[in-house]
Amino acid sequence: MPDNAAAIPTSGNLGRVLARRERRFAAALLAPAFLALLATTTFPLLFLVGTSTFRMDLAMPFADGFVGFENYRTLLADDRFWSSLLVSLIYTGSTVVLQVALGLALALLVMDMKRGQGWFRVIAILPVVLSPAVVGMIWRTFMLAPEFGIVDYLAINAGLGSKNWLGDPLLAMVSVIVIHTWQWTPFAFMVLLASLASLPEDIYEAARLDRASAWQRFRRITLPLLRPAIVMVVIMRTMVALTAFAAIFTVTGGGPGTATEILNLYAYRKSFTELSIGYGSALAVALLVVTILISGVLFALRRAK
Amino acid sequence: MSGRGQVRFDGIVKMHGEFAALKGVTFDIEPGEFFALLGPSGSGKSTTLRILAGLDAPSAGRVFIDGQDITAADACDRDIAMVFQSYALYPHMTVYENIAFPLEMAKMSKAEIAPAVREAARKVAIEHLLERKPGQLSGGQQQRCALARAIVRKARLFLLDEPLSNLDAKLRLETRTELKKLQRSLGVTAVYVTHDQEEAMTLADRMAVFMAGEIQQIGRPADVFAKPNSIDVAAFIGSPPMNLIPARYKDGGVEIAGRRLETGLKEAGERNVVAGIRPGAVRIAAGGIPAVVELVEDLGDTAILDLDCSGISIRARVSDGDVPSEGAALSITARPADIHLFDATTRRRL
Ligand SMILES: Nc1ncnc2c1ncn2[C@@H]1O[C@H](COP(=O)(O)OP(=O)(O)OP(=O)(O)O)[C@@H](O)[C@H]1O
Ligand SMILES: [Mg+2]
Repeated sequence: MPDNAAAIPTSGNLGRVLARRERRFAAALLAPAFLALLATTTFPLLFLVGTSTFRMDLAMPFADGFVGFENYRTLLADDRFWSSLLVSLIYTGSTVVLQVALGLALALLVMDMKRGQGWFRVIAILPVVLSPAVVGMIWRTFMLAPEFGIVDYLAINAGLGSKNWLGDPLLAMVSVIVIHTWQWTPFAFMVLLASLASLPEDIYEAARLDRASAWQRFRRITLPLLRPAIVMVVIMRTMVALTAFAAIFTVTGGGPGTATEILNLYAYRKSFTELSIGYGSALAVALLVVTILISGVLFALRRAK
Repeated sequence: MSGRGQVRFDGIVKMHGEFAALKGVTFDIEPGEFFALLGPSGSGKSTTLRILAGLDAPSAGRVFIDGQDITAADACDRDIAMVFQSYALYPHMTVYENIAFPLEMAKMSKAEIAPAVREAARKVAIEHLLERKPGQLSGGQQQRCALARAIVRKARLFLLDEPLSNLDAKLRLETRTELKKLQRSLGVTAVYVTHDQEEAMTLADRMAVFMAGEIQQIGRPADVFAKPNSIDVAAFIGSPPMNLIPARYKDGGVEIAGRRLETGLKEAGERNVVAGIRPGAVRIAAGGIPAVVELVEDLGDTAILDLDCSGISIRARVSDGDVPSEGAALSITARPADIHLFDATTRRRL
């Protein structure tokens, strides 16, 4: 072999050089986004955890100082924490179940529509693009206002009489659940419709010839094949519902009393209404832990067959 | 089981918008018959099968099974098993579950299902794959799985849409034999779609030749082969295809490349015809049409000769013993009975 052959990398060598070059390029592309993410999420998160170990009371600044786990000990004994956690879980569980069930039903319905599918999709997506705060305002004024709100008007006409939709603890809870469901069902609908449309048609024909009824086709074919999409929707919606804020804040502000006070809202009230920043931070960290735990369980479920 | 699975197609038309996929198809299938639908790609074979299965509704015409008008009946209620051209296996179920599915739907007990599934899988030689998912199978294995799913249930009608197209030559032959035996032993009516004329010839009791949405000819394979009733059928059936030579007919003979060959037709007069001679019927004998061998394709036991007869190309099949070499000059002829005559304008058999 002539001398200059040494300068040319062998094929295995070349592959490694190219791979290294590619990795360096990828790292360069990633760096800005990574730094921005670090600055906007990781750093505040660490700061939050740090704050939660301090007593930081803007109303009584003289008592501030490092307290270690004191805030967490208080939290575990705090009835309002446990009740807000319960409200969070009820809110999350019911909205997610409703979104998936309604979204799936709508998707199945629309799949069978011969025409008008496109229009339906456009109309259905509208609530999703609204800000939750705007949605909250719309519902509070336009839908639920006594006498004049559409829902109340319908209730009166249906002979149920005017209800205090946001003043009664149970009705208020139902209302915020309905509002969240109303806004986010279209998301589940769109995802499930897309994955429904991707299912091959011929296996349904085969199932018909195998004499499976419509219900059996749904149970034995559609549901198992949609499972990954459903689990994905459940995971995404659970995380969002656990940390929901704006809609409830604008509609009930957590009230009446603490009837619709989800954990997020309690942390907010503690921090910015009662100005107990240290304890508020501990509540926020608790919410983070709960969210991580639940999504961990969901991801494990997704992996299990 | 005889008396079950009689089919009648009555003037079936299928339109896709302006396009007519089927233009009035009529045929009868006797109970227990193995009936093949043969035709080139896009001729409407699958469409016919889907209408029979109840997966598509015809635009006009009626379908009868066992004397009953089932044109409007749902696929669920027809008691028909089908092998799809696309296999249509349930992707989330194992092979075992796929084959068991029709039995489960028929409310059979688990104890009855297991042996039936194994038996069906054994018949198509996939009993070692029962735990796999369809995505982990080769095309041919998927096809056999689809076949097993169809035969596991004793339906009154058995529809197969090119069920062997993806198997290798050896497996295709084996499965073909197995299929024929199976159909015989069950006595079930089978409708078999294929574009492979050899498959139709060997399997079918009768066959219908489709062309462009119409049936050209129905009959026993041997009869269709012996007496194709149009130029299109003649060109489609037989391998290598029949030589079709434009010629002049005169008083019982045709003139090809300046030589006269006697034909079976005894009719006075003169007209333009297309003479059809199967490659196997071409004889090398003195005193016939002079020809030059352009190419020899040796197939082992036989050889195909591409001949040039003063501008007309003719293919001949000769057996191994006397294969002429390329460039050799010879003379060919054919027996009167082996010359098929078709009208040059109507393309029908004379
Ligand atoms: N949904 C449809 N819309 C328009 N044309 C269609 C539709 N389905 C089938 N066709 C046409 O109908 C004709 C017959 O189709 P078919 O599937 O019956 O063919 P085939 O004989 O089974 O062919 P192959 O051997 O390729 O499977 C084809 O020309 C096809 O293009
Ligand atoms: Mg087809």
